[in-house]
Amino acid sequence: MAAEPSCARGAPPRPPVNAERVGDRTSSPPRGWHARIELAFRRARERTVVASRHSGPLYIQRPFYPGDGVCHVYLLHPPGGLVGGDRLEISCSIGTGAAALVTTPAATKFYRSAGSPSRQDLAVRVADGASFEWLPQETILFGGSIVESTTEIGLAANARFVAWETISLGRPAFGDLYRSGRLDQRTRIAVDGRPILIERTIFEAGDAVLERDWGFGGRTVLGTLYAYPADARALDAARGRLDAFSGLYAGASVVDDVLVVRALAASAETLREAFESVWAALRAAVIGRAPCAPRIWRT
Amino acid sequence: MTTATPTSLRASLRLWQLISPSLPVGAYAYSSGLEQVVETGRVRSERDAAEWIEGVLHGLARTDLPILLRVHGAVAARDLDEAIEWCRTLVAMRETAELRAADRHMGQALACLLEDLGLPMPRCDWPFAGAYAFGAAHGGVSAVLAAAGYAWAWCESHVAAAIKLVPLGHTAGQRILLGLGPAIEAAVARACALGDDDIGYGMPGFAIASARHETQHTRLFRS
Repeated sequence: MAAEPSCARGAPPRPPVNAERVGDRTSSPPRGWHARIELAFRRARERTVVASRHSGPLYIQRPFYPGDGVCHVYLLHPPGGLVGGDRLEISCSIGTGAAALVTTPAATKFYRSAGSPSRQDLAVRVADGASFEWLPQETILFGGSIVESTTEIGLAANARFVAWETISLGRPAFGDLYRSGRLDQRTRIAVDGRPILIERTIFEAGDAVLERDWGFGGRTVLGTLYAYPADARALDAARGRLDAFSGLYAGASVVDDVLVVRALAASAETLREAFESVWAALRAAVIGRAPCAPRIWRT
Repeated sequence: MTTATPTSLRASLRLWQLISPSLPVGAYAYSSGLEQVVETGRVRSERDAAEWIEGVLHGLARTDLPILLRVHGAVAARDLDEAIEWCRTLVAMRETAELRAADRHMGQALACLLEDLGLPMPRCDWPFAGAYAFGAAHGGVSAVLAAAGYAWAWCESHVAAAIKLVPLGHTAGQRILLGLGPAIEAAVARACALGDDDIGYGMPGFAIASARHETQHTRLFRS
């Protein structure tokens, strides 16, 4: 993505201190941490402003306007990870005509659980003529994690939307080969209240779906990118970018105006590069703006 | 196909008609990505084909089959809204343009056929399993038998595709079908045991193969 047109200069915000919990905590507190944030984006004169309400360790930094007309927000979860019983609840509403992009400065980590699931729930509503881009870093499932995750996207018919979700199984570099663990991840995209795409990734360590070619085929990273509204041009652009990457088994298709790119890889970095490239190729067609990568991706 | 007092023989006849490869819905035209995995060399033998088909049956057990059971139940309870809602859900679970188009084509073809045979069909964006469940319920076919028949027909049609594509001999095809028996039973049992909240199953390799089939140069099949 180095060759993409760059956006206006501005001081990149400092990366947050990653107050990661020490080691692999295995015991959950009786009641886990429940962190919650509601982001309401609205158009105010020429730009999009954000109001944030939160409880628990989930914050945003001051929004950043890199010159693409979009309000860029970095969502921070200082603990850095979740143990069993913890829950993250994120809701984003993008008002009429507003344009927002949310990313995260660090991967979301799900640590080994003593038995109760960790949860993340994301709810997004994008109103008429508004655009939203949800481009978080990957989710790392530590061996022994038990994770439930839901993503509910409600779009107005003339909203614009791009999102990606990436999961990484274990941490092979640290000898964590995801020998145990469970994931149940649901994603639902509705347009004007009508479900248009319902996806579910559900498995337990050792399941055939992780090993076989019809499933993960032994690869440890799965990414899915969604874009709406998408036409044949957007599809061709996505396919063109994917073809340039080796080390990726990927496919793109458009179902009822939603572009879905699914990709399997052995490394989260490869997948991330590919998705950034696809996103850059799609942004003009789908969001209506030139690509402008959040600065934090480069720090 | 009007509602008649179901005798088991009459219901069986209805079922056989619905699961016959000669049912004019064009099932023979679809391989659900099998053509792509043969092209890329992932499926090259009888064993590979059996493994792939059995694998995709995992997904069927958690999507088509439990929804088929629910549409069947809703039709029996005369709850059309419920049946249509489940049909919508199933269409939204189709991962790619080709899989969705295949399901809609076959669903619509069956809905038209049933209508022509005298069964009034409600307006719906029919997935094949939805129209099939509707016909089966009206034909007095029990839900479980209808689900088993659907799984059987699905396997039969994909084995036929494998015979053309790999290619395999007809005896090999029959061997695969015979071998799939326990997997079909397991799929039906699982589908029966699922709660509403358990429905849905992602198979990334299957979905990616289907997406890549859309740009495959030489193709005999439409999916």
